[in-house]
Amino acid sequence: MAKLDGKKLLACCANGAGSSLMMENAIKKVMKRNGITPAELRHCPVSEGKTAARNYDVVFCARTFVKTFEGIEKNGTVLIPLKNVMSDKEIEAALKEAGLLD
Amino acid sequence: MGTVLQDIVERKHYSFIDGEGVTWQEAVRLSALPLVADGTVDEDYYKQIVACIEKYGPYVVFEHNIAMPHTQENAEGAHRTGIGFMVSKKLIDFGEDEDGEKKEANVFFTLSAVNPEEHLANIAQLTEIFMNDDLIDALAAAETPEDILKAERDFPCEE
Repeated sequence: MAKLDGKKLLACCANGAGSSLMMENAIKKVMKRNGITPAELRHCPVSEGKTAARNYDVVFCARTFVKTFEGIEKNGTVLIPLKNVMSDKEIEAALKEAGLLD
Repeated sequence: MGTVLQDIVERKHYSFIDGEGVTWQEAVRLSALPLVADGTVDEDYYKQIVACIEKYGPYVVFEHNIAMPHTQENAEGAHRTGIGFMVSKKLIDFGEDEDGEKKEANVFFTLSAVNPEEHLANIAQLTEIFMNDDLIDALAAAETPEDILKAERDFPCEE
């Protein structure tokens, strides 16, 4: 079973309307390509994501928001900061590096 | 319904500027003007976008000098879902990102999001457009609405 199967994933950006949606689409592509079925995949603004993060296994955000999520690893949440939010290739590589994808 | 680029042309949501000496704040305002013209957004809508970029940095500027200025869904002063497309001959300076990398843009897709389904469809299409380098190059060179349509015909997106 793939490591991300049944996991809860969250994509965050400033407004929860633009880049987080692009991230969600790109994450979907990666999940599909690798035959992974996450329990949940959604997007939201960082203001909401900050408190919601602890309920998720993996949080994706643009690199500019890394500071917002400082300390979330204490709850066992993995933060994946991205340079290009619409790049499924970058997401795939980052997940591999984090040991979440084979 | 047509593609987002056809929709932009049909609704006259496009503008072409020289961009010499234009600040990014002014560029955002100009890119939203065609949306103001038909009541898609109010005149002051762009100010929320500017405030957001001032707060979070130029994260709305992507690779290949593409800017997607936007704010949250159902923002004040947004009445319909739409995209303000703008080409600037000169690159507009958005300052530096968190890594000190210079961010510049010459192709603008300024968003107004009211209808979630339309917005979702727009974002999905825009993602394909942004990752289509040949199409973005052709759009950056566009000077007329016909050029926008021709760019799309010459370099169609897969999906």
